[in-house]
Amino acid sequence: MYKVQPICGGDVKVDLPTCMYKLANVHAQPANSCTHEHALQNGEVDPSVRALEARQDEIMRKLYELKAAVEGLAKTVTTPDADMDLTVRGSLSSQSSSSFRGEADLDTLLGKDLGALRDIVINANPARPPLTLLVLHKMLCQRYRVLSTVHVHSSVSSVPPQLLSCLGPRHPDSYARHLFQLGFTLIWKDVPKLQMKFSVQNMCPVEGEASVARFLFKLLAPYPSDAAAATLVDSWVDTAFHQLAEGGAKERAAVMRALNLTLGRGPWLAGRDVSLADVACYCCLLLAGSASPAPANVQRWLESCENLGHFGPAKVLLQ
Amino acid sequence: MIKEGVQGAAAVAEEDPQAQSKKAQKKQQKEAEKAAKKAEKQAKLAGDQKTEEEDDFAKDRYGVAAMVQSQEKMDRSLVLVKDLSPARADELIWLRARVHTSRAKGKQCFLVLRQQQFNVQALVAVGDRASKQMVKFAANISKESIVDVEASVRKVDQKIESCSQQDVELHIERIFVISQAEARLPLQLEDAVRPEGEGDEEGRATVNQDTRLDNRVIDLRTTTSQAIFRLQSGVCQLFRDTLNKKGFVEIQTPKIISAASEGGANVFTVSYFKTSAYLAQSPQLYKQMCICADFDKVFCVGPVFRAEDSNTHRHLTEFVGLDIEMAFNYHYHEVIDSITDTMVQIFKGLRDNFQTEIQTVNKQFPSEPFKFLEPTLRLEYKEGLAMLREAGVEMGDEEDLSTPNEKLLGRLVKEKYDTDFYVLDKYPLAVRPFYTMPDPNDPKNSNSYDMFMRGEEILSGAQRIHDAQLLTERAMYHQIDLEKIKAYIDSFRFGAPPHGGGGIGLERVCMLYLGLHNVRQTSMFPRDPKRLTP
Repeated sequence: MYKVQPICGGDVKVDLPTCMYKLANVHAQPANSCTHEHALQNGEVDPSVRALEARQDEIMRKLYELKAAVEGLAKTVTTPDADMDLTVRGSLSSQSSSSFRGEADLDTLLGKDLGALRDIVINANPARPPLTLLVLHKMLCQRYRVLSTVHVHSSVSSVPPQLLSCLGPRHPDSYARHLFQLGFTLIWKDVPKLQMKFSVQNMCPVEGEASVARFLFKLLAPYPSDAAAATLVDSWVDTAFHQLAEGGAKERAAVMRALNLTLGRGPWLAGRDVSLADVACYCCLLLAGSASPAPANVQRWLESCENLGHFGPAKVLLQ
Repeated sequence: MIKEGVQGAAAVAEEDPQAQSKKAQKKQQKEAEKAAKKAEKQAKLAGDQKTEEEDDFAKDRYGVAAMVQSQEKMDRSLVLVKDLSPARADELIWLRARVHTSRAKGKQCFLVLRQQQFNVQALVAVGDRASKQMVKFAANISKESIVDVEASVRKVDQKIESCSQQDVELHIERIFVISQAEARLPLQLEDAVRPEGEGDEEGRATVNQDTRLDNRVIDLRTTTSQAIFRLQSGVCQLFRDTLNKKGFVEIQTPKIISAASEGGANVFTVSYFKTSAYLAQSPQLYKQMCICADFDKVFCVGPVFRAEDSNTHRHLTEFVGLDIEMAFNYHYHEVIDSITDTMVQIFKGLRDNFQTEIQTVNKQFPSEPFKFLEPTLRLEYKEGLAMLREAGVEMGDEEDLSTPNEKLLGRLVKEKYDTDFYVLDKYPLAVRPFYTMPDPNDPKNSNSYDMFMRGEEILSGAQRIHDAQLLTERAMYHQIDLEKIKAYIDSFRFGAPPHGGGGIGLERVCMLYLGLHNVRQTSMFPRDPKRLTP
C-alpha cells in the first residue's frame, strides 16, 4: 500500500477509564514494526508464526489420519469382505509405532495377558491351504516362542498328511502350554472362507486370508506409519489375493508387468524392507504358477525372497 | 297303570281333541314304520352274515394262529422289513412283524407293519384272495400284536412318506396273529416319538418321562429308543475295538468290595453274611492293581454304583463305566493322548456308521451335530480360568469349576475352537483326590485332567501316585485313615510302573453325543434315588 504520514503523534495522552483492561498502544511502536518488515524482507519467519504453522501442520496430519481411518471403516461397512479394521488400526496406532519398532510387545499388540496362552485359531479349508499364513507362521516362530498345533475338525473326513505337518515338527516343550508366548492353532475345517478367531469376547472373527495375514504381520513389524505407505502395502496385498491368485491369465500378466516395473525401482515392493506385500505376492505367484518365465526384476526379487528362508513350508505344500 | 296313562292321554286329548289325535296318529305311524325298517334291516343283515359266513372263501387265509409251542419246525424263511426294496417287487414273501397302525377304509384295510425301526405299508383288500371277513379281521387286530403275513411285494408310484420302506408296499394274501396285544396300551407309540413342544401346539399328547420309564418295554419299541440303544451298543463296540487295537487287555473287576475305593462319593452297603460289604463305586483300585501286575494297559466295562441322593438330569445310582488304566513311559500326556484318541475314534465311528440312528433321534430331539477336533484340543486349567475371567466370572485360582461355570467354559471353548470335546489339564491339587500325582513344577497343581462333552464333564482322570511313600504322605495330608487304605498302598510296595487313567459313563456319553437332556433316556432301565423298577 502507499504510505501516509501518521496524522497524530504516538505520544498523545488519552484519558482512559480504569474499569477496562489495558492494552499497549498499537501505533506506539514504529521501530518494532520497522524491524518486522525488515525481517520479512530477509525471508526470516517470526518464531510465533512458525509455531503456528507447525500446529496447523500437526492438525492437518491428524485430520488426514482420521480421514484414512474413517475411510477404512467405511470400506468395511460398504464391502463386507474388505480388509477390516486392520488398516484402521494400523493408521490409528501409527503414533505409538515408534515404541514397538524393534522388539514388538505382545501385550500392546494383543491386549493384556490374563495368564492364558494367547491362542490364534485359524480355520482353513484343506482344499485351499493358506500359504501366506504358513509363511507368516514361520516368521512368527523366529520372533516368538510359538506353540503350533494342527487339528482336523469333524466336518472334514480326511486331510492329506502334508497338511497335518505343515506347521513343522512338534515343539519338544509342547506338553507345557504355559511356556509359550503365542499359540498358533490351525484347524482344517469345512469353511467357505478362511477364518481367524482370537479373543472371543472382544473381537469378532476375522475373515479372508488377506485380512488374517495383515493381522499376523502386524505381530512381526508395525505397518508403515504414514498412510500412503500403508496403503501401498495394502494395495499390493489386495492385488496378490484378487488378481494373482484368483484372476485370469490377462490379469496375471498385467500384475506381472506392474511387479516388474516396481521392482525395477527398488529391491522390495513397498518400502526399504521386506513387507507383507512381498510375502503375499510371492505366495500368490507360487500358487498361481507361472506359465511364462518371470521378467528379470521379478526373477531377482523371487530369488531374494527365497534367500530369506521363510518360504520353505509353502513350497513343500505345493509339491 | 297303562289304563291310567291312556285315560290321562284321553283327558288331555279332550281339551283339543282333533289336533292331538292327529299328532298322536302320525307319531304312531312313524314309529311303526321305523320298527318295521329295523326288523327288515336286521333280517337282511343276518341273512347277509349267514351267506357271507357260508361263502367265506378265504376262511383259511386268516385267523389267530395256535400258540407257538414249537409244535413243528417250519421250513419257511421270513423276510426282514428292512430288506424290502423294489428289487423284490412281485415276489411272494412271508414276514413277521408288529402291527404298528391299522386303518380300515371300506373294502380295504391299510396296516403299517413294523420291525424295530423299520416299517412298511401293507394292504388287505377285498378281492380274489381276501374276503370281506378277512379285511374286517385285519382291521380288528389290536396295535402292537405280532402277525405272520404272506404278501406280494409291489412297487408304488408315489413314495410312502410315513414309512421307512418308501418304495414298496405289501399286498397281503394271508395274515395270522402270532401274539395278540391287549387292546389298551399304556402309551401310544406315536405319542412317545412326538417332538417336544409340537404336541402342545396341536393339542396332541406327549408322554412324560415317568410313564415311559414305567412302561419301558413299550417305550423301548419306539424308533427313537431303538436308535439310542443301537448307538449305545455302538459306543461300547467302538470302545472295545479301539482299545483292543491299541493293545489293551479287557479285565473284569469285582463289584462287591470291602472298603470304599474312592473318596468322596457315597457307597451302597450290602449285607455280606455276618458282616457288611460295599458295592464298587469305581473299578479304579483293581485297574491299578492290574497295572502293578504287569498288564500294562487295561480297560473294563461294567456297572458302577454311586449312593448319591442327587436327582439331576445326569446322575444315576447305577451306570455302566468304561474305564481305562495304562502304564506310561515318561509323561502322563501319553495317557491323555490314548484316551482322547479312543474317544475320537468312537466319535468318528458314530459319525460314519450311525448316521441314520443319529438322524432318527434328532427327529424327536433336535440338536446340533457333535463336533470334535483330531487330535483333541487340550487346554490348561489356568487358561480355562482366564477365559472365564475374561467373560466376567470371579473365581479363585484353586477353586473347582462349578457346573454353570463348566457349561460357560464349554460355550467359550466352542465359540473359539468349534469343538464339543476337549480336555482341561493341570487341575489344582487341592480339588483332586489324594492319590493324584502333584505337578513337579508347581506344588499347587496336579497331573490331572477332566474331559468335557458339550460342556459337561464326562471323564475325570489323573496320573496316580505309584510310590507307596508319597501316597502315604498325601493320604495323611488329606487325613485319611491309613488302616482303611492299607491294601491300596501296599499294592505299590513291590515296584509299580508310572501309570494313569480315567473312566467314562456310557449313558452320559451317549446322552451328550446325541445332545439329549436326560441321562434316563440313554439308560435302558435307569436306577436313581427314586426308581428301582422296572
